[in-house]
This record gives sequence, structure tokens and C-alpha cells, in this order.
Amino acid sequence: MALLVALFAAACGEDKDDQSSGSSENAAAGGKDCGKVVLNEQAWAGSTANTYIAKAVLEDNLGCEVEITKIAEIPVFQAMADGKVDAVLEDWQHVDEYKKYIDGAGTVVQGGPLGVEGHIGWFIPKYLMDENPEFKSWEGLKGKEDLFKTPESGDQGMFLGGDPSYVQKDKELIEALGLNFKHVTAGAEPAQVARWSQLYKQKKPVIFYWYTPQYLNQEYDLAEVQLPPRTDANQDCKDDSKSGGDPEQYKCEYDVTVINKLFSKKFADSKSPAYDMLSKFELTNEDQEQVAKAIAGDKVDPEKAGQDWVEENQDKVDAWLN
Amino acid sequence: MQVGGIVLLMLLGYLLVDGDYSWPVSLTWQELPAKLDDAQTWLLEQRTAPDPNFFFAILDGFRALADWLVTALTDMLLWLTWVGTIAAGTLLVLRFGGWRAALITFLAFVSFAVMGLWEESMQTLALMSAAVLLSLAIGIPFGVLAGRSQRFHRTITPVLDAMQIVPAFAYLMPVVILFSVGPAAAVICTMIYAVPPAVRITALGIRGVTADSVEAARAFGSTAAQTLFKVQLPLARRQLLLSVNQTIMFALSLVVIAGLIGGRGLGDVVTNGLYSNAALAILAGIAIVIMAIALDRATSAIAERTDPTRRHLTDRGKRHARVLTLATFAGILATVFAARALGADSVYPDEFETSTTVYTATIHDDLLRWIQDALDYVQDPTSFIFGITEPLGNFILENLLEPLRKLLVDSPWFVVLGGLTAIAFVLSGLRPAITTLLMLTAIGVMGVWPEAMDTASQVLVATAIAVLFGIVIGVWAAESPRVERLLRPLLDTLQTLPQLVYIIPFIYLMPVSRIPGIVASVLYAIPVVIRLVTNGVRGVPPAAVEAAYAFGASRMQVLAKVKVPLARESIMLGVNQGIILVLAVVVIGGLVGSGALGDMIARGLQRNEFGEGVVASLAILALGIALDRVTRGRRDPSRA
Repeated sequence: MALLVALFAAACGEDKDDQSSGSSENAAAGGKDCGKVVLNEQAWAGSTANTYIAKAVLEDNLGCEVEITKIAEIPVFQAMADGKVDAVLEDWQHVDEYKKYIDGAGTVVQGGPLGVEGHIGWFIPKYLMDENPEFKSWEGLKGKEDLFKTPESGDQGMFLGGDPSYVQKDKELIEALGLNFKHVTAGAEPAQVARWSQLYKQKKPVIFYWYTPQYLNQEYDLAEVQLPPRTDANQDCKDDSKSGGDPEQYKCEYDVTVINKLFSKKFADSKSPAYDMLSKFELTNEDQEQVAKAIAGDKVDPEKAGQDWVEENQDKVDAWLN
Repeated sequence: MQVGGIVLLMLLGYLLVDGDYSWPVSLTWQELPAKLDDAQTWLLEQRTAPDPNFFFAILDGFRALADWLVTALTDMLLWLTWVGTIAAGTLLVLRFGGWRAALITFLAFVSFAVMGLWEESMQTLALMSAAVLLSLAIGIPFGVLAGRSQRFHRTITPVLDAMQIVPAFAYLMPVVILFSVGPAAAVICTMIYAVPPAVRITALGIRGVTADSVEAARAFGSTAAQTLFKVQLPLARRQLLLSVNQTIMFALSLVVIAGLIGGRGLGDVVTNGLYSNAALAILAGIAIVIMAIALDRATSAIAERTDPTRRHLTDRGKRHARVLTLATFAGILATVFAARALGADSVYPDEFETSTTVYTATIHDDLLRWIQDALDYVQDPTSFIFGITEPLGNFILENLLEPLRKLLVDSPWFVVLGGLTAIAFVLSGLRPAITTLLMLTAIGVMGVWPEAMDTASQVLVATAIAVLFGIVIGVWAAESPRVERLLRPLLDTLQTLPQLVYIIPFIYLMPVSRIPGIVASVLYAIPVVIRLVTNGVRGVPPAAVEAAYAFGASRMQVLAKVKVPLARESIMLGVNQGIILVLAVVVIGGLVGSGALGDMIARGLQRNEFGEGVVASLAILALGIALDRVTRGRRDPSRA
């Protein structure tokens, strides 16, 4: 701890920042400059990871008081607009909300990319891919849907849908691709994981909505089914079927999701050192998965997992603080 | 009998009528969700406008009040320090509720500390206290009015019914829109559920004051206000305290739901633990049960001990009591200041430090490890228990749920509509039948007929299972006091344990998405069914039983031919209450894959599909009222 403060003071000292917030001693010791910062942790382990990394840096290096809320992905936009939450560090492109709160009301502002890139797709266990190499592409599934039959799906194959709160279009995709799957919702992510991981352990066939980065990808050997690629011809292809309409407009793979940081307008205008740090805050997929696995897989206390990462990656942390 | 005939006709209709008779598009109000979305946007603009109009100013004022109350109570509990809080709770209960209740209170506080959930428990306690205080502030005046005016009572009863029938999950959306997220929203959700029992029991208490006492007061020239404050309220004191007790219990059952919309504390740990750490969610659930048991015992003990109709104190006794009260408060203050002076933390610490070593102060990690081991066992698809539960889940799905869902969803809509209305007419009479018809039509018009029928199939299957087991166990408990004694703590636990907690193991044990929700709703509804059946069978007049024995009937014959038929009304009430309770939980099942209306609400809440979410909420309300009327029977409607 003392070492961290010293390091930070040194780093700042060299840089001679011209901010009126005063000397580096002052910033390092905390004081009134930072005050309270409210971060929202989203419901998945990756978000817990980046939120607690940020918390460790804000508290230990800038002396902020950090409060963590856990509001669901969409209501949190309203919470930011009301100034109850200062920042969301991992937002998966909620385009509709961007229109409403960022472009429209202007109560929320973009905070730039987190550096983590999200990817959504259809996944199957690796052993299943080895037995049926044709599943590499969605066309290989045609006529083979029976393999995925469960009591729940009747005479169709079962497609296990994602958490209802996540970005998705699988019902429409199944229809547009003419596959004989029944879209079964398992509900919240842990329930969905329980379903497919049990089938995985029984070495049974299963196909489901999944994504990266996700720490469970280190635990289970999964393979991805290639959906119709994005080309110039289907540029307008959409990823979120929330607005409904013709299934054909969703007939393509999910785009790579640039994950964004979002700030409340109030926080962005506050000139808080916390805002400067969070603007520069950046992680790689590996950083995030490593900490997420420590928290959700090895049950390390999030607080400690965040601090551990900060200690090991001081160079990255320094870059955010300058 | 007639019901069987109607069901048979419905089956015939399903089998014979060919072609697609799903709810016609021409009878659907398709713009409804879009209109509701517009309404949401408008509401948000109004609420966040720089100078809100009167209505929104009042809402905002209430929100600020609730927020302030929760914060103030939390700060107070933290200021007391953990030592002071334990002392205050225990000594107060000791003074007013007796040593048994005080001991339970003390153990409860100790368990929060040892479980490593002190701060969360205090947040929940503060949130609950705020909700209960505000509920009573509204509930008791309304209850007094309802107790004094029959007309007011009649007007308010349907509103109270609706408040209790709608599953809390359904009104989360509107509350978030009107009050944003945070403690205030959580308090308001809790109040919607906790105000009705406060009103009802207060009204019951006021009406229970004998006419003689009121007459006597009038005869001595008391004004109406004097009669109320000097006679009716003091004499109804026991009921008032009972209403406090019930309000607390109802409020606690919503703590977890409140966690979904930014209420802090144990509920938050449960809902978020579901994602990141299921063992922690279960541990927090256990803490909620402990809190419920302690609060229940403490408040009912206080209600017993301070009942003025039972205690006639002499002047000396009164003086003695006053001295004791003073001593209690002095003791609390002394402890608090001593604790603060000695530097006790505001929350119970994770570890104690002495000059040489650091002791771990909680068994938090051990508990989590044990729970995790148990969860790992149930997650293992090769385990013995999974070999039983998985086929059982599949059996319920393939042989009960799916056929019933097909019957309700695929039948021509007019067959289902007509059939349910006819059953309502046969069982409950004309007015309930008309209500049923209207409610079902509303569901169709809102465009969610198939989803509502899917949900209805889950509700009916769960209710059937709950009623079947409920009757068997209930009759057994009525026959054997020992069984009843053994059951009591178990039933108490089932009623207070948050549903999400016992859904967790079943997600693993019965990996069929609709089944965990059904099991959870059966577990939630069965205590009430068992209690009603037990009371009903006990209530059979002894003369009838004597007569049957005199005619040489065996014990089984007496049960089957006399007791159960005579307890029919109670059993019917059990079915009716069972359905309502099941509906509340099946909807929560949307979070673990029950699909249908619950899924629509979950999506509406989490993805801001406001219109659809509200439509689903309204459909659940309509379905709840319809199913209530179908099974209400011809009992006296004024009965609570």
C-alpha cells in the first residue's frame, strides 16, 4: 500500500500535471479532490472483475470512496441519467438506449472503449464438433436437429437461449435459417450454464447461445458454429431483435461488440480525478478473464482479486493515472 | 361432478374442433405495447422535468422521504456499533417480550455476525423497518376507518385483494418508472404488499371491540375521538400489534424482490449471488429466515405480554414497570457509549487483531465452503439424487405440463373461455363467472393469450401437486398433534425462505426449464394449504365424528366419509389460496426459464421493453383474478 502511494506520487511528480487539483501529494493522499464514485457492476463475472480493478485503483491511488451498485443493464441508464450511478465500465452496445440517453437527453456520455471485445455466437461442446465436423458451419446442422432433442423441446431440437437480459436474436435466426430448433429459455445466465454444463458433463449434445470473454471458456472446451458471415451484401444486418420485425434482417453472425464505458453527464462534468482515470481505464480480454476466473471460479474475494491484479500490472495502472 | 362434465366437454372441443382457432388478431389491441412505451417516455420526461407538476412533486417528495428514512435508519444502526445494536435489540425485547424472545433475538444477531453478513443484515433491517413504519402509517388509519365504516370497508376490500394478488414481480416496472431505482423503490414495492394485512387486521381489531364498551363510553359522554383513542384503540391493541407482526412478515418476504431494483442488503446478495456465487445467495437466504423467525417471535411475544386485557397492573406494578423501562434504556445507552469509547466497529469485523495474532471472527468462509460442496454434489449429473430428480422432472413435464399446456394453448380459444367461465359459474356463482369471462377476454385483447395459457398450465399443475400433498399432510397433521408440532418449524421456514433460494438447487436437480419454478411454487404454497386443511379437519363438529364411530365406522372411514367431506369448504379455500400463491412464484420462475408471462416481465424489466412488460403484468393480474374467481366457491366474500 505504502509502496503504491509512493509509486504513484513518483509517477505524478515526473509528469508535472498542470491540473489545479494541486500537488501529487495531495491527490495521492485523497482529500476532497475525488470524493465518492458510484460504479455499477453488471450481473456477470467479467463485469465484477473490471469494476473491482477500477475500485482498487480509485481507492488506493486516488483516495476516492467507491460505492458499487448492482442495477440491471437497462435500468442503469436511468440511474445514470438521475445521477445515481457515475459509471458503467462494461456496456454491450445498447444502441436503443444510446439513442435515448446519449444522443437524445444527453444525460449519459460515451466513455470510450473498455478495450475488451465481445463476441456472441452459437456454441457446442468440442467433443460434439469432433464427432460431427460438419457442425463447423450452420448448414451442417440442417437435418441433424434431432440430435439435440430433449423432453423440453418435443420433436424438435433444443436450442438453449441466452439470459433474457442479453443482446440476442436467436429465435429470429433459427426461423430465418429454416432450422428445426425450438428456442428454449433457461432464464438467467447461471441457470443456462447449469443446463448446458450438465449436458456437457454427460457428454450429450447441446447447442447454446454463448459469448467471449467468459471465464468458463477456460474450464469447458467449446467450439463455435459459424453463422452466415457479414459481408458487404448484408451490411444492415441487425444483432438485437428487441425491436422485432422480419426475421430476415437478422440473418447473419453477431458482429464483434466493442464494449464501451459510459459515464453520467454529471460525473463527466465534475472534473474529478476519478473521471480522468476511468477515461483512460483499459483492459484486454485476457486481463478480464484472468480476474473473472479468480473471482467466480476460484472464489477469491473480488476486492482482493482486483488488488492482486493491480499489484501485478503496475505498468498498466500507471498509464491510466497520467 | 358438473365440473368433470365441463372438463370433458373442453377435451372434446380440443379433439374435435379442427383448424387454427388461436385468439383472432381482429380482437387484439395491437398498439397497446407501443402506447405503453410512449406513456413511459412521457412519465420519465415528467418525472425528470426541472419543475414537475403537483402529482410528480408528491411522488418525488415521497421518494425523498423513503430514501431519507432508510439512510437515517441505516446510519443509526451503524452509529450504535455492532455491540450496541445487539444490546439494544436484546434488551428491548427482554423488557417487553420476555426472556425467551430475547434469547432468540440475541442468537439471531450473533448469527448475522458469525455468518459474516452483519452489514447486509443491518441494511435489510433498516429497509424493512422503513417499509413497515410507512406501511403502518398508512395501514392503521385506513384500518381504523374500515373498522368504523362498513361502506368504506366494502369499497377498499377489492383494492386490497388486487394489491395482494398481483405478484410483486409484476409491479416492479411501474415502480421503477415512477420512483427510479434505489431504496425508495424497494420500500414502495414492499408497501404495496405489506399495507393490506395492516389495514385488514386493524379493521378486524377495531370491530372486535365489544359494542358494550363503545356504548358505555358513549353513555358517559365521550366524543367520537375520545371513544376511538381511549376505548377502541387500547382494547384493540393486541390486534394492532398482531398487524405489526404480520406487516413485518409480509415485508420480509419481499426483501429479495427489492434486491432486483436497488434495495441493498441481504436481498441484493441473494439476487446477485444467483449470478456470481450461488452459495453466498443461499447463505444470505438463511440469514433472511433467521431474521424472520426472530422478528416473528419477538413481536408476537411483545403483543402477548403487553396486552392490557390480560394484564391488570396495580399502581405499584406500574411504577415497577416504569423503572424497568428506564433501566432498559439506561442499559442500552451505557452499552452504546461504552462500545464507542472502547472503539467497537460500526459493523461486526471479519477479524480481530491482538498484538500478536489475527483471529478470524466469522465462519463465513467455512459456511460458504460447505454450501458449495452441497451444490457441487447436486450439480454432478452422475450423483445418486440426480438419477431420481431428473427423470421425475421429465415425467412431470411430459405427462402433466405439456398435455395441459397443449390443451389450453391449442384448444380453440372460445372453448377455453367458455369452459373456465362455466366452471366459475358452477363452483362460485354468476358474478364470479362474469368476472372470469371479462378477465380472460382482457387477456386475449392484450394479445398475450398463448403466453397466459402457458402460465396457467404451470399454475394448475403446481396447484394440483400442492393441493394433493397438502391434503394428505394436512389431514395427517390434524390427526396427530405430534406431526403438526414437527411440521411447524419446517412450514415456517418454507414460508419465509426467499423462493429464489430454493429454486437454486432445483435448477441443477431438475434441469428442465419450467420445472424448478413449479417445484419452488409448490414449496411456497404447500404450508398454507396444509394449515387450512388441518384447521378444516379439526373444525369438524365432534358430534358428527362421535356419531360415525357409534355406527361402527373405522378410523379411515371416518376420515374419508365424514371429516374430509365436512372440511370441504376449508379444502376449497386451500385450493383457492394455493393458486394465488403459486401464481406469484411461477412468475418469478421467469428468471430461471419458466418462459411465458414471467419471461416477458423479466425481459421487460431488464431490457426496457416496458410496454410488453406492463402488458404481461396486467395479464398476470387478470389471470390471478380469473383463477381466484373460478375457485373461490360460494364462501362469504367478506371473509379475509
